[in-house]
Amino acid sequence: MNLMLKIAGALTVATAMTAPSLAQTTIVAPSGSTAGTYMDYMKTVYDRGTGSELLQIPIATFDKEFELTPMAAESWSQSEDGLTWTFKLRSGLVWSDGEPLTAEDFVFALQRAATSGYDFAWYWDFAGGIKGWKEVTEGTAEASTLGLKAVDDLTIEVTTVAPKPYFPSVTSLWYPVPKHKVDELGDDWALDVASIVSSGPFEIESWEKSNNSVVFTKSDTYTGPWSPMIDRLELDPTLNAPEVGLPAFLAGDSDYSFLNTGQVPVATQRFPDGIRQNAVFATSYISYDLDAAPFNDVNVRRAFYYAVDRAELTSTVLKDIAIPAGSILPPGYPGYNPDVVAQATFDPEKAKQFLADAGFANGEGFPDVEIWYREEGGYNGAIIPAMAQYLQAEFKEVLGITLNIRALPGPEWMDGLRGKKNNIFIAPYEYDYLDPSNFYGIFYNGGRHGYFIPEYDELVAKADSESDWDTRYQLYADAEQVMIDQGLIIPLVHPITIAVVSDQVTGDGVQPNSLGFTQLDRLGHYFFTHITKQ
Amino acid sequence: MLAHIIRRILSVAFTFIVVSVIIFMMMHSVPGGPFDANDMPVSEAVRAKMMAQWGLDQPLHVQYFQYMWGVLHLDFGVPFQSPGETVVELISRAWVPSLILGGSGVLIGAPLGILLGMAAALHRNTWIDYLASTVATLGLTIPVFVTSMLLILIFAVWLNWLPASGWPQPNRWILPIICYATIPLATYARYTRSAMLDTLNRPFVTVLRAKGLSENRIIFQHVMRNSAIPLVTVFLPMFIGTATGSIFVEAMFRVPGLGAYFVSSIEVRDYTLQMALMLMITFMYCVAYLLSDIIYALLNPRIRVGGAE
Repeated sequence: MNLMLKIAGALTVATAMTAPSLAQTTIVAPSGSTAGTYMDYMKTVYDRGTGSELLQIPIATFDKEFELTPMAAESWSQSEDGLTWTFKLRSGLVWSDGEPLTAEDFVFALQRAATSGYDFAWYWDFAGGIKGWKEVTEGTAEASTLGLKAVDDLTIEVTTVAPKPYFPSVTSLWYPVPKHKVDELGDDWALDVASIVSSGPFEIESWEKSNNSVVFTKSDTYTGPWSPMIDRLELDPTLNAPEVGLPAFLAGDSDYSFLNTGQVPVATQRFPDGIRQNAVFATSYISYDLDAAPFNDVNVRRAFYYAVDRAELTSTVLKDIAIPAGSILPPGYPGYNPDVVAQATFDPEKAKQFLADAGFANGEGFPDVEIWYREEGGYNGAIIPAMAQYLQAEFKEVLGITLNIRALPGPEWMDGLRGKKNNIFIAPYEYDYLDPSNFYGIFYNGGRHGYFIPEYDELVAKADSESDWDTRYQLYADAEQVMIDQGLIIPLVHPITIAVVSDQVTGDGVQPNSLGFTQLDRLGHYFFTHITKQ
Repeated sequence: MLAHIIRRILSVAFTFIVVSVIIFMMMHSVPGGPFDANDMPVSEAVRAKMMAQWGLDQPLHVQYFQYMWGVLHLDFGVPFQSPGETVVELISRAWVPSLILGGSGVLIGAPLGILLGMAAALHRNTWIDYLASTVATLGLTIPVFVTSMLLILIFAVWLNWLPASGWPQPNRWILPIICYATIPLATYARYTRSAMLDTLNRPFVTVLRAKGLSENRIIFQHVMRNSAIPLVTVFLPMFIGTATGSIFVEAMFRVPGLGAYFVSSIEVRDYTLQMALMLMITFMYCVAYLLSDIIYALLNPRIRVGGAE
């Protein structure tokens, strides 16, 4: 009897001790890359510690409808000449060690990025257009000459080389760096959990460097918008591969998992309410060397444009892991224009006519061509090889021409594209920031493909600095019309990713937006602060 | 015997130096460097600054001698991908899970394989033999990522007896250990079977039987000892191979081990870590073969090279 009492007592104490931890909500999620060096987004983007951006508060960020939402900034304004932006920070923001978060921490973040080998530094020139950026990154000017100024603790002034109406959306990747910590520890501040401080909705609890998995907890000191509804967040990049993620999800070890093509039907059958589609905002398209035969003839390029049945391509060989692309811009992306998209029809007769106009009726006399694509993993790896084979069959059937396929490692493919070593390529591109200038910029003034089309360049340059948004979008649509008329590219597909989410995870974050997309961790700040678990 | 061991140690040291030079040369002869991996490389000015910071602007032979001088003092440098710690700290941290899981896999799989091989040899051409051969063949031919997937599906998803993956709770070790154990089990079953059959067919066994020795004594005292040499040859290299982590098993079971570093150190040109890992493996193999040689000699005096004794 005595023994029974002791056991009952021990069980009561044990239950009482474990109850609080059971009450904690923890989300376990797949994430990013298994290799990460610094837990500091402003030190390295490509090699960052998992979720380093969730630790910090950006100036602004996007919600699930891709609306720009102020975060560290309370408001912003543009000067009359359009060259200077003034950002007013919220008062009361602090670092997790109690130090106040000031304008100086934001200015310091970019001054350091321009001088210390930040691997995303090009962004602040290409997208940000910050005055003096190029000179400072090339080492010919001092960081103090940058168009960045902390006017007072809560005011930041940014000067750009030309008017940048979309600059506030560029700031979604502008995170503060704790100057007081860098002064004390240098880059080592972001290497060790004990010295990492945060300004965002989460604090770091642990970081396993061999697979870059992290555990975050809800920050006690965060006073900005979007406070987390969960207590703990475990981000594990080893769950990112669907082959590992789905079994873990099925065993209850993970709250959602991305799916590969083979898993989609199984998961859809088993969890019909748990399937989510994520827009990647990427486009795969065919590009050419415009100076090399036979693609130096616009009629040939137009023939190829009309010879692709995108709907069949995505529904058959790609098994709906991509949607048809009629424009370089994906649906839902700012500036997306249905009128542009409507032109990208599958019209074999038109295609044949254009080819005949080019002097290759029924493909006779057309040289054999080799299409080059880049070997890669992820969603592109699942899409591009299958798509290349589809195109090979399609061009043979519709145009009567022989297309050979060649896969190349990344650097060789890029070298081939830049050096014009081949005349036709499949090119994938994924957005870096949410503005049409990101996609149109890749064809501007040579850009990625060596396309120099004065009419196009003029429209894009005008659009880039146009402050009226309707006019701006129209200018981009006009620029795309030039691309269509001159057959500069063939938009093929926009990849999407598909995931399965546990029915225990609730909140706005897992509800599809008005376009039907659920971005999950692709909009990390929004998603992880707008979900909870039952 | 002592002279033999000294000769072997000298040859191991020589091998170690030659291998270090070859690895160093190969590592640096691959085009690109640690700061060229991204699509968007840093500017020349910044790149030069970073190369100087890591000492990569020095001539190659200077870099080699500096590195090896450090190695002599057990200083393997700082890993580029984890600059907050030393290479030695990184390896000793990440090796623990690999060693526990891989090591246990071999230590469990090898004895089971020996038992299976013995059973097969002693019951040749019976169902036991066929079963053992089937198990061995399956163990060697099914890739580990398939075995991992099957184990997860059966024990974690369908039966829900064990967690699918993760670290560090010991109940999460069971499936990866089973997975690691399959290869030593299969290998040992095959080696033991053929080694024992080979020995059982030799004339001295017939003589022992004719002399009226019990079957147990013949098997355990004579046959086993004579069959042990191939098993010794296989054991240490297999132990090292498995206990230094497998990229597939660690990825499937989400183990934060050394396996991932083998790949990432090559991918991101983490020269210091890459060199340290290769030197570590070389050193371990050298020592393993040295030990194997010594054990051979103890098992069978005729193997002693030189035969002076």
